[in-house]
Formats: sequence, C-alpha cells, structure tokens
Amino acid sequence: MALLTVTNATVQFGGLIAVNQVSFRAEPGKVRALIGPNGAGKTTLFKAIAGEEQLASGTIHFQDQAIHTLTPHEISARGIRRTFQTGGLFGELTALENVLAGLHTKIPSSFGGLLANTRSAKAVEKAATKKALKLLDLMGIAHVAEQWARDLSGGQKRMVEIVRALATDPPLLLLDEPAVGLAPPVRLELMNIIRRLVDEENIGVILIEHAIEFVMTVSDTIMVLNNGEVIAEGAPDEIRQNKNVLEAYLGR
Amino acid sequence: MKLNRSIFWILPVLALALPLVLNQYLQYVVNLMLVYILVSVGFNIVVGNLGQLAFSNVAFFGIGAYASGILTTQLGMPWWLTVVPAGFCGALAGCAASIPALRGVRLFYLAIMTLAFGELMRWLYIRTPGLTGGSMGLTVPEPAVFGWMLTNEYQKFYVFLFIVVVVVIATSRLLESRIGRAFLAIKNDENAAAAMGIPTGQYFLLAFALSGFVVGIGGSMYAALVGHLSPEDFDLIQVILHFAIIMVGGLGSLIGSILGSILITATPEVIRHFEWLVGSEEWIFGVAIIVVILFLPRGLSSLLAKVNPIFKDRYYRD
Repeated sequence: MALLTVTNATVQFGGLIAVNQVSFRAEPGKVRALIGPNGAGKTTLFKAIAGEEQLASGTIHFQDQAIHTLTPHEISARGIRRTFQTGGLFGELTALENVLAGLHTKIPSSFGGLLANTRSAKAVEKAATKKALKLLDLMGIAHVAEQWARDLSGGQKRMVEIVRALATDPPLLLLDEPAVGLAPPVRLELMNIIRRLVDEENIGVILIEHAIEFVMTVSDTIMVLNNGEVIAEGAPDEIRQNKNVLEAYLGR
Repeated sequence: MKLNRSIFWILPVLALALPLVLNQYLQYVVNLMLVYILVSVGFNIVVGNLGQLAFSNVAFFGIGAYASGILTTQLGMPWWLTVVPAGFCGALAGCAASIPALRGVRLFYLAIMTLAFGELMRWLYIRTPGLTGGSMGLTVPEPAVFGWMLTNEYQKFYVFLFIVVVVVIATSRLLESRIGRAFLAIKNDENAAAAMGIPTGQYFLLAFALSGFVVGIGGSMYAALVGHLSPEDFDLIQVILHFAIIMVGGLGSLIGSILGSILITATPEVIRHFEWLVGSEEWIFGVAIIVVILFLPRGLSSLLAKVNPIFKDRYYRD
C-alpha cells in the first residue's frame, strides 16, 4: 500500500501554474527526493501535501484517505509532519518546549483538568516531557534541551526540528532542504539519521534538497521537477544519466 | 536562593491587612489596582502570549462593566451573581473581536480594526440610553454579595481580592500548560504551529475569549467600584493605559501584568501626594513609562526574573 498517493495535482497562483499535473506515490521505508531548479514548484508541492496550498485540481490521498481538503493541523494530526526551509522552530521556546509543542496533539489534558490542575493533567505533561527528552537524547542533542531555539546553531536547529516533527511517530516525514547551511560532518550525520529512520522505523520520507551528492546518497527514488512538471523519475543512477535532467538542472 | 512558588501567597496574604492601614480613598485606589490587574492580565493573553496587536480590550472592559450594571439595574440581580455573566459577555465580545484575526488580518490592520471595535462599543453605549443610560451614564446600585451590601471600600476590597486571586490562579494554570505553549508557538510561527497539529484558529478564538472573560470580570468589578458608568470611562485613553501597564510590567508575563497594574495605578496617586509636583502628573507619568521601556524593554518582570527564576512565568521570555 502506498503511504501517499498524489494524482494529477495542480496548484495555481492566478495565471501561474506552479505545480502542473504531478502524480507520484510515496512508500513507507523509502526516501523520495524532489529536485529541480529554483521555482520548479518543489516547496509548493510540499505545501499542497501539508494543506497550506489548495489544489486547483487533482487529489492527494494519505493511507487511502483523501487529505487535500483538510487543514494543515488536521493533516499533521493524521501523521504527515514537515520541516521548513527557513525558520520553522519556535525561537522563544526552548528545544525541549519545541518538541513538546510538536507533541501537542498527544497531550490529552482537558481544559477543565488544566484549570483544576488535576493529577492526570500533570501526569500527561510529565510523560510528554519525558518522551521529548528521550527523543532529544536519541538525536544526541539532549544537552541543548533548556536552550532557546533561537540561540541554537544551524545544525542543532535542524536536529530539533526533525525531533519535533518525529515526536508523534508520523508515518510520513516531509523534509524541506534539511542539509542547507550544514557543515559536511553534520550533513553526514543527518544522512545517517534519515537512513536509520527509513530503514529501521519504516518511515516514508519526501525530501527537497539542492545538495546533489546528499540526494544521490540518501534517496531511493528521485523525482525531478521543472516549471511545475515532472521531467524525470527514477533511481539515483538513472537520474544522473538522464539527458533532460542534465540540461534542466545538473547543468551539463 | 531556592524559593518555592508558594511565596506568591505572601502578596495576597499581606494585602489582607491593607484595610487596617489605609483610609477609604487609598483603599479605593488599591481596589482600582485589583480591577486593572484583571484588565491587564486579560489583555496580555492576546498581546503578550498570542502576540497579536489587538486593542479590543477596552471593549471587553466596557462590555463587562455594562453587563454587570445592566443586569443589576434592569433585572435587579445582586452584583455577585453578575460577575460570571459579565465574564461571559466579555468572552463573547472576545469571540467577535477574533473574527478579523481568524480571517487572517494581522499587525497594524488588526490593531486599527480592534481599536474601531472599542470605539463602536462606546458609540453603542451612547446610542442605547434605555439600557446604558446613554451619555448620562448608568448608576449602578451598591454591590451585594450573598445579601450583604458592600457599603465601603474595605468590604469591596476583600471580595475583589478573592475574585482576583481565583482568576489569576486559573489564568496562570492555563498559560503554563500546553495551551500557553500553543499560544507562544503561534506567536513565533503560525504555519509551523499548524504543522505541529495545533489548531491555530481554535487557539486564536480561545485566547480572545479567555482574554474577554478575564477583562469582563474586571469590568464587572469596575462597575461595583465606581458605582456610575459612563461611555467616557471606556475611551481611547484607556487603551493607552492598558498598553502602558503590560509594556511596563512585561509583555507575556502574568506577574508583569500585576506589577504594571500596581505601579501604573499608584504613580498618579504618589505624585499627587507631593504638593510641589501637583500639575505635572502627566509628564512624570509619561517620562516614567519611557524610562522603563528604554532600559527594561521586557518590562519590570524581566528585572524580577533576574532576582530569582521563581518570579519568571513558564512561558515568559525576557
């Protein structure tokens, strides 16, 4: 069963067709990369999947249910979580609180319970905090838990964002340029983390990335967009040889 | 020094003794502080925690006050039974005020629309003399609590103090929970908050309604305190006053709202105390606000937070 099925998705901004009749399937336990020049429609496609942009036509199904009419928070609650190209973290929250905000839907305290400060309301918050700390520890960034997100280094921010997105154990993760601005060793670490999530946890990942070696190494399938259309799709080696791709993107 | 949060109880407990040392007039000023504590605690939820430039606070304040006044004069209800309904009227006004924000209006556009809401309400108080007494104002009977009349400032004080303690504790619990965290997440990045599964629209509505509820209760207390409501009590000067309180106290800090209310309400009275300063209240007041904001951009609560972290609200960032 495909995790995500995008069928003839089209996104329009006035007269501009940003995403044109794009179809693909994302599988669990696989990394699918989206590459293409700036303005190709990669992030717009991400936003359409996450519910931030409306489809002009086409459908998006997640675990066999239509999601293209849902709002971003509903889609997130269904289990599609994303990271952002820039920003994205809550700067005034600590790393730990960022992850707790990521766990928002998994903290089932009621309004009345919070008002009365009941034992169960305190218990769910405590359990969530414990889980968030454990996740930060798994990614090796537990030492920054109490630091404000805006004070973290670029690499730490990226890791916290990934931890926050993964906190609810989502089946599908959308990563928007996760490697940008990261030093080579951090990139390598990130690559290993993504592969571990995919291979061990069976998460499906869709990845937008310009760092081409990163994409070639980490991906199972690469889809190339240009002017909102899919111009090629295949395994990394096939894409490397594809003439259209070389002309449009890889620049040879 | 390791302190426990129970030290916060010192303030209300010490306050219990105030009627022993204050005359009726000063007690009135302290009661006014209690009113402004709720007004600014409510205001700070929307401006400081949710991070929205919404100035509908004066509308909530007036609606709470008039709700209490109308229920006591028209329906003959005892004042204490009108406090919670006044809060709910404020909450309803909060829901109405959140509509532009829910439709995506932000920043200056939201500021001007919400300011207009306050002015619209003032126009309405004037234009509905049958209910509000119009521009002549509405005389509110002496407040009654369980059949007891609150005939002096000291009696009002104990009732007000009780209400303020309950409302502040309740608000604090909500703001320190996942709800307060969601507010701050929305303030920082709305899109990212939604991507985390936080229903941002619902939280906008909740913040405005909560704000309206708390401020509405403050309005109800104001009606009981002054005994006469007139539309000018809820004009644009009030907006500036409320804003000054939370800026001086600390945006997004509940402790700051309390500090700011006490200070801003006390300042004119302290100035009045010195004869040679009389007549310069306004500019001293203005300069004091500028100085605090210049040197303590996150308000007095940032100073207090440096003294001991216990004085820092969970989601207040200095």
